Amino acid sequence: MLLNYIKIAWKVLLRHPFYTFITLFGISLTLTVLMVLTSFLDHLFGTHYPEIKRDRSLYVATVIQTDSAHTSMSSGPATFDFLTKHVKSLKSADQVAIMSNFSFSNTYVNGKRIKLNTKYTDSEFWEVMGFQFFEGKPYNDNNIRNSDHVAVITDALRDQYFETGGKSVVGRNIEVENINYRVIGVVKGSPPTRIYSYSDIYFPYTAPKSNYENKGLRGRYIAIVTAKDASEMPAIQSEFNSNISRIPYSEIHTDKNLTVLDVKADRYFDHFVNTFARDSTKRFLFYTVVSFVILMFMGLPAINLVNVNVSRILERASEIGVRKAFGAPSAALLWQFIIENIFITFIGGAFALALSYLIIYLINSSGWIAYADLTINVPVFVISLGVCLVFGLLSGVLPAFRMSRLKIVDALKV
Amino acid sequence: MLQHLFKLIWNKKGTHSLLIIEIFASFLVLFGVLSLIVFNARNYLQPIGFEYAQVWNIDLASNQDTVDVSRKLANVMQRIRSYKEVETATRMSSNTPFSANQVSGSMTYNKVTVGADFYYTDPDFNKTLDLPLLKGRWYREGDRVAKFIPIVINKKLEDKLFLNETSLNKVIKIDDKSSYKVVGVIDKFKAKGEFMSDNPGLFEMLAKDDTWNSNVLIKTKGGTDANFEAKLVKDIAMMLPGWGIEVSYLKESRLNRHNLTLVPVIIFLIISAFLLTNVALGLFGILNLNISRRKNEIGLRRAMGATEGKVAIQFLGEIWVIATFSLIIGLLFAVQFPLMNVFDLDSEIYITSIFASIAVIYIIVTLCAWLPSKQASRIHPAVALHEE
Repeated sequence: MLLNYIKIAWKVLLRHPFYTFITLFGISLTLTVLMVLTSFLDHLFGTHYPEIKRDRSLYVATVIQTDSAHTSMSSGPATFDFLTKHVKSLKSADQVAIMSNFSFSNTYVNGKRIKLNTKYTDSEFWEVMGFQFFEGKPYNDNNIRNSDHVAVITDALRDQYFETGGKSVVGRNIEVENINYRVIGVVKGSPPTRIYSYSDIYFPYTAPKSNYENKGLRGRYIAIVTAKDASEMPAIQSEFNSNISRIPYSEIHTDKNLTVLDVKADRYFDHFVNTFARDSTKRFLFYTVVSFVILMFMGLPAINLVNVNVSRILERASEIGVRKAFGAPSAALLWQFIIENIFITFIGGAFALALSYLIIYLINSSGWIAYADLTINVPVFVISLGVCLVFGLLSGVLPAFRMSRLKIVDALKV
Repeated sequence: MLQHLFKLIWNKKGTHSLLIIEIFASFLVLFGVLSLIVFNARNYLQPIGFEYAQVWNIDLASNQDTVDVSRKLANVMQRIRSYKEVETATRMSSNTPFSANQVSGSMTYNKVTVGADFYYTDPDFNKTLDLPLLKGRWYREGDRVAKFIPIVINKKLEDKLFLNETSLNKVIKIDDKSSYKVVGVIDKFKAKGEFMSDNPGLFEMLAKDDTWNSNVLIKTKGGTDANFEAKLVKDIAMMLPGWGIEVSYLKESRLNRHNLTLVPVIIFLIISAFLLTNVALGLFGILNLNISRRKNEIGLRRAMGATEGKVAIQFLGEIWVIATFSLIIGLLFAVQFPLMNVFDLDSEIYITSIFASIAVIYIIVTLCAWLPSKQASRIHPAVALHEE
């Protein structure tokens, strides 16, 4: 029976290849755009290498100083000193890593110039991040205490600088701005879209030029606080907030008219939204604009699908009439249309899946983002396929069902 | 004729409502994307106003060194200028061309207050970036006397701050102790690249004892390579132990800036192109179906003496009326943007993109309706009436 319905559906699809094409184009294209977009968002905000604890991490990335009327403001990362005092000391936290914002440098080898991203971190950075070491090991508290000139580099930098063809480079020196650092580890690099873990070369924070000695509020350091379990994050946030509220006024009041300190420990996505939408009205505006754009982009193909389906239903009236004249019950007709719709939606879905795989593969291998690791998000795919199905059923099956209840004479006449 | 068409559509507004919604939504999407494109294209068409091809940017960071910084910086400048590969060099604030940094402030003259980008530079700045002056001259050593700080402003700032007056030698008060004195006017300085809008900007001469602004722009002679760069960095590192030194090429920074603007625009463009194709295909299908359903009506009209052209025009006219309905609804939303000055953009941008979207929508519906209308007009009355 089912096979019969599928056969009918197949014949119906082939009868008007152009309309089939329109429907398939709409479904597969919309799904593809949705898949690539969510895959990219997941790449940006999801928990991936090397930030494998992001789902239970809080980020202290921005210190904002404002005056009481919020007219002037100054914001940016914090000093190492500030983070050590107020974030390292959190009792409810599992681990706290402090790292510098990325900065740039160059190194020169054999008349070649290599652009470098540099980062200064503490030793706990390597526990919070799940870097994979190809060789060697991270620096430890001993290296930091002795201000050793050591560095951890990525595999990409190893291949560019040493050109050893993958042979071990641990113990060799790399020269950056006239200072020699001993390489003690080589890690698999992080994509540049993860700015808190991304770098080409990592130094202990006591290495030269890190400026960890600076006092005050604003500097170039960021802290990541991990919780043992995601459920403990609100407790850490409230402890952090109460710590911040206890900072004496003399410490906050570093600039003549900036008297209010605003610093938060946020989850990664919140911290990202907060960088451009600090207050609730701005955040509301942001979410409204985003949902409006998504509604428009997703709504258009849906309207289109409904439109084509509704227009085509009259075409099937005589077919319905004939089938009814030969004794088919309404239920049988209904099933036929349901299966037809599921069939075409699945074909569209299959195309979309193939297309998304292709596009994601192209993005990953194009080198557009180094170390890109975009993947297909299966739950999102299933949900959007479901939504397509609902629209298909609403627009294809409902009118057909109504028509199937017409009197045979009327149906045949249309 | 037109009235008749409106009546036809109005009588069937129920069946056409989905079509109207679809065109309306396409219009809004198109309007959004075109606003983005028009905004960037308008900026791109204005020249950036300076030369960057041979210029390098050296970012010096004093880090923990606080002793005698201004003298050390002066020595380094002297050393840099002495290389034969260096044509000219200039010191400036951290908001170097194509960087992400921005320094802004505001100033008041004759009760007019204008916000502007501030650039702190030394007297060699215009030579290094080949920045031509419209009037006056660039500031030079000795201009910074008593309480007057010499500044050069761009045309945009002159227009906004001084309205119709000439700006040369005007004095702008900062506070009781110091004031700016305008010594020259340049045309444009779009520091963030072609896609930046031409904002008001001003150049202020660095004080002799300045320690804060330690970026150096150097214009190299042609054929200078990484070997010289390595030597330069090594020499500076010897002179300034413990300092951070980062060299970047303005050419490369410019490409990075451009990608930041272009990548989102291209993504939006691709997505909306696919959406509109989708809509156009759907529209074509629907019109095709509608017309095949109205064969006997067409046959009747043809039998009553309507020409092929008249039939085609009727169907084209119908879709134009539907599109007009949708566009009127769409315009109700779209005109809010220029009226309420959303995102602080020039209302000209919104108006241009409204007109462009209207044109594109009409083109799309006409293209979609063309073939079905032509087909309809070719229906022979005898055949159409016979079917019935």
